[in-house]
Amino acid sequence: MHEYSVVRELLSLLLPRLEGVPGAIETVFLRKGELLVLSDRALQGAFEVLAAGTRLEGARLSIEPVEARLRCPSCGYEGPAERLTDGAFHYAIPILSCPRCKGEVEVVSGRELAVDRVEVSAPEEASPAVGA
Amino acid sequence: MHDIRFGAEEILARQLELAEANYRFLKGKGVRAISVMGAVGSGKTSLIERVIDRTKPCGIKVAAIAGDCAGDDDHRRFLARGVPSANLNTQDECHLDAHLVQHALESLSLDGIDLLFIENVGNLVCPADFPLGAEAEMVVISVTEGDDMVRKHPKIFAQTDLVVVNKVDLADAVGVDPQALVRDYAAVNPHGVAVLTDARHNRGIDDLLRALAIECTSTQW
Repeated sequence: MHEYSVVRELLSLLLPRLEGVPGAIETVFLRKGELLVLSDRALQGAFEVLAAGTRLEGARLSIEPVEARLRCPSCGYEGPAERLTDGAFHYAIPILSCPRCKGEVEVVSGRELAVDRVEVSAPEEASPAVGA
Repeated sequence: MHDIRFGAEEILARQLELAEANYRFLKGKGVRAISVMGAVGSGKTSLIERVIDRTKPCGIKVAAIAGDCAGDDDHRRFLARGVPSANLNTQDECHLDAHLVQHALESLSLDGIDLLFIENVGNLVCPADFPLGAEAEMVVISVTEGDDMVRKHPKIFAQTDLVVVNKVDLADAVGVDPQALVRDYAAVNPHGVAVLTDARHNRGIDDLLRALAIECTSTQW
């Protein structure tokens, strides 16, 4: 349950950048590497709780998964990981080994947790004038 | 409606930078740091104690950081073994992070130290996402946790290159085949090394030293 500390980092990154930006914050778009042990549901819950009383209160958190990609220094392979689909593991686990030569690999992507963009509604959209 | 672009700004960047700084600091001091993860009661502290005892006659100087939510039990055990130790209470956080480790490093005298063990809070989930700046990582599981531990926590095992299966002396008593854990680990991590130990009776410690590339061949211990 480390999602709260991660969302605290997220807010400390976002809030200073959103100061003075007019309009309502509609959606925060995150990209989350599949190798991280972070639950989407817990991230959503932590965001809802910690954003309360800030500019981000009521904003939606959209989490896009990022697939693991590998690079093999031995044979030059660069691409997705093979997956262990053994039923005993319940979900397809990316294997950090070269699918081509079985050598040791570097992880190119799949460990990132990044803010991609924040969607903001224009002030007039957020609060339409009565009778307009 | 308009977008504010962040260009994939990394949320964990501060953690990664701090881990990198710890790594460089330790490297500069000539200290090899080994991060030890594993569930509560898997035998992390006992294994570190055995390594301390085993490497002493070889003149290898060890230090430790004892990470726990509360208390100083592990810290006192390390001090009783005559090694410098820093106690790191996370105050209910479920994992250590590079910032906490940085503070612990400030309070430790590392002059002449060869090996530093950083013992994480007992947990098989959260520590996986927080690099501490160690040169090597290991996960400890004990047979008493059941033979399905790797399947239940595949991500940490897929990303950690050394696993210690401890308490193998109790395998028959709890009806667990340690090789089942080793097989599951090999399936999720083809490059990983698994070592079987019984820390209580000092078995398998030399295999662990070999896996950690610690050279110590003295027979006097």
